[in-house]
Amino acid sequence: MKIKSGSGLFSVLMVAALMLAACSNSNGSSSPSASGPATSASAPASESASPSAEEQPKDPLGKYPEPVTVSMVLGARTPESKDVPSGLTPDQNGYLKKLKEMTNIEVKYAWTVPYEQFNQKFKLSIASGDLPDVMWVDQVTFEQFKEQGILGDLTEAYRDYASPTIKKWMEFDGGATLNMMKSEDGKLLGLPSYSDANQSLQTVWIRADWLKNVGLEVPQTFEDLERVADAFAHNDPDQDGQQDTYGLALMKSLNFWGFDARGFFNTLGAYPYNFIPGADGKLVAGETLPETKDALSKLADWYKRGLLDKEWAFKDENKVVEDMIAGKVGMSFGEWWYPNWPLNLVKDNDPKAEWINVPLPSYNGNPGKSLVPRARLGKIVVVNKNFAHPEAAIKMANFYPEMTKKEYNDVATPANGYVYEWYEPRVSNPTEMETNYIQVNEALKTNNDGYEFENGSGALLYETAKKYANGDQASWGLTFSRASEDGGWGITRQVRDSGQIVRSGFAGPPTPTQVEKGASLLKLTDETFTKIIMGSASVDEFDKYVEDWKKLGGNDITAEVNDWYAKNPMN
Amino acid sequence: MNRTSKRMLRLKEELPFHLLLLPGVVFIAIYHYGPLAGLAMAFQKFQPIAGFFHSKWVGMKNFEYIFNLPDFSQVFWNTLEIAVLKIVFGLAVPLLLALLLNEATKSWFVRSVQTSVFLPFFLSWTILGGVLFELFSFKGPINALFAWLGVDPVLFMGDAGWFRAILVGSDVWKGMGYNMIIFLASIAGINQNLYEAAQVDGAGRWKQAIHVTLPGMAPMIILISTLSIGGILNAGFEQVLVLYNPTVYSSADVIDTFVYRLGLFDQQYSPAAAIGLFKSVISLFLVSLSYYLAYRFSKYRIF
Repeated sequence: MKIKSGSGLFSVLMVAALMLAACSNSNGSSSPSASGPATSASAPASESASPSAEEQPKDPLGKYPEPVTVSMVLGARTPESKDVPSGLTPDQNGYLKKLKEMTNIEVKYAWTVPYEQFNQKFKLSIASGDLPDVMWVDQVTFEQFKEQGILGDLTEAYRDYASPTIKKWMEFDGGATLNMMKSEDGKLLGLPSYSDANQSLQTVWIRADWLKNVGLEVPQTFEDLERVADAFAHNDPDQDGQQDTYGLALMKSLNFWGFDARGFFNTLGAYPYNFIPGADGKLVAGETLPETKDALSKLADWYKRGLLDKEWAFKDENKVVEDMIAGKVGMSFGEWWYPNWPLNLVKDNDPKAEWINVPLPSYNGNPGKSLVPRARLGKIVVVNKNFAHPEAAIKMANFYPEMTKKEYNDVATPANGYVYEWYEPRVSNPTEMETNYIQVNEALKTNNDGYEFENGSGALLYETAKKYANGDQASWGLTFSRASEDGGWGITRQVRDSGQIVRSGFAGPPTPTQVEKGASLLKLTDETFTKIIMGSASVDEFDKYVEDWKKLGGNDITAEVNDWYAKNPMN
Repeated sequence: MNRTSKRMLRLKEELPFHLLLLPGVVFIAIYHYGPLAGLAMAFQKFQPIAGFFHSKWVGMKNFEYIFNLPDFSQVFWNTLEIAVLKIVFGLAVPLLLALLLNEATKSWFVRSVQTSVFLPFFLSWTILGGVLFELFSFKGPINALFAWLGVDPVLFMGDAGWFRAILVGSDVWKGMGYNMIIFLASIAGINQNLYEAAQVDGAGRWKQAIHVTLPGMAPMIILISTLSIGGILNAGFEQVLVLYNPTVYSSADVIDTFVYRLGLFDQQYSPAAAIGLFKSVISLFLVSLSYYLAYRFSKYRIF
């Protein structure tokens, strides 16, 4: 008996599941009797009960008549808020109590560890085959689970129980990300949390006070940018009479989430570490293209001239941020969020520091086009196939956005023991950034304190922006990243609307050859690129690298990626 | 009294000792021999959910796969070279230190040297890594010294040759206190009569060290070398992981860092297990060989 779509069968399963849950009021999951086949087998017995179950309305936050236990695991971050009562443990989280009260879902943690240890511990759990009912996993783990047949079907649960809010979010990109969660035969195996891909768009952050000190304008072209970097490195931009600065922040991974070389590459039309559409419409690996060689030779030149830190290749993001805070560097490529961290810390340390955000400069007369990934996928809600209540996972996902509604503002506070960092799954709103930006700016322009914001975070942003307008410097980070027209999101959406972007074409799971050879190829790439930039290998090594890269599996990966692309063309 | 009853009597006497031994044997059986069954993973396409019993058997495929990986020969030779250097210097330096310290007569001096040499042994590589980075940084004290000597500054951590010297040097520095103590203990166990006899024969300090101290220490030196040869494919995972970067992959990427990236990042359990088994087989062979040689040349046996 195979589970196919059809509400009749589904409700049968539901009833069977409820009965099972009622029998074993704790731990309804890990006992083999609750497993898929057993549930199906017991279905005929409860057939007679199905008609009445079918008529029951499917409430996204409906309360189970009997408590339903859901086992989970958690990597607990330290709560951001200082108001959280001391000694509170994750299983005492206010959100869980509220969830129980509202839906009768009782979350039991099989284990909780500090966030930093989560991956390791979770991988051990995977290796030992001991998995909880509901999980909040990354894409790689998702694909692995999918391949191993660990995941439960969420098709009906999503269709019948997802709240209108969640459904709206899933439709934001036309359902593209949701479709990536489907199995070959069309079953939905996960509910993704994703954000607007434009959030990855690269811009340049520059210290305007330093620009003034060295007498230069905001860079429009790559040559301008080079002059700025040179002046920041050699013309004492902080005017302390010492030669203690360098031109551009750069960390050891050229392709990272910040302080990396993506923006530099993109400015010069190079897109390494990505598959982009080539002239023939097929995807091609950015690593292998001549633009990348050109960009590497430019970086090597910058390194030789002292525009980069001599030891950039040994510095992680924290070291680079230390340098920024210490006023050793005043320019970095990066995304919209920098003001919120770490630029706010630079300002704390040096009140004179003034940051501006500008689009990528042009090169050889062509505007710099930032890469925007095809998808910006966060974590994914999945259920164990042995779990009798897949819809409970959907209800749990419905629950979090519900709690951000105004009516719960006074209840769901850290002081009351509500720790959002500990509540999973938290499906994020892909429209939040843009909606808040538009609504906050509208409200600011009309000075409308009674504005009805769609999101709780919008109202908060409005208040913060007003505080900043009244001179509160502590509100600068949030305001300048999310609300200011010349700030992080302001510039990002301006670039988005101008269309000066390049979209990567591949957003699938790692291909078989990627799994096998990906680590080796990445090592080859990192080693070659780093050596070329630091001058321990000549730029012409690049040609040999491209040959090796193709030979050692790159060609196979490109073919596999194009197979995926043919099945999932961009619209 | 016949033989069987004698044997019974012996057993009765020895039984308590056997019982004392039992917990240790059980512990070893559970935690050291039991997991050996997991080696099956190296011959399977292991999938956690399927477990050992339902994962597919693939024969030697995992081995074929790892030996064909483009990096394998590089990390293999790196491992071997780094480990040999570490073993040689890790024995020679503490031996020299122990001999020198043995000649020192002031006990406060001996004790303070012992303590300070032993101290780095207790620090973790994470901390030492930070210290080394500062020490050898472009504007760090070593380069300041170089500048004072009129030598151009060196990017130590980014130079494949220097980097390996730093790996070996810092490992020897960190571990030398431990072996030194063992050597000192073995020196203390040498019969004082031998020294007196040597003095009567007119041997000076130097001759005494060569002809009495060193031969007296030989069993310990052989034992420690034998044990370290078993670890010849362990080039120090933590240390390399903390210190290395892409510019020095060519001289510093070792089997363990490779397995780390393969097994933990890419979750390729089976190939990672295959490499582990491969390492163990080689180590077993080397330990047997050195054990045989130790017996052959100095009649030394552990068992």
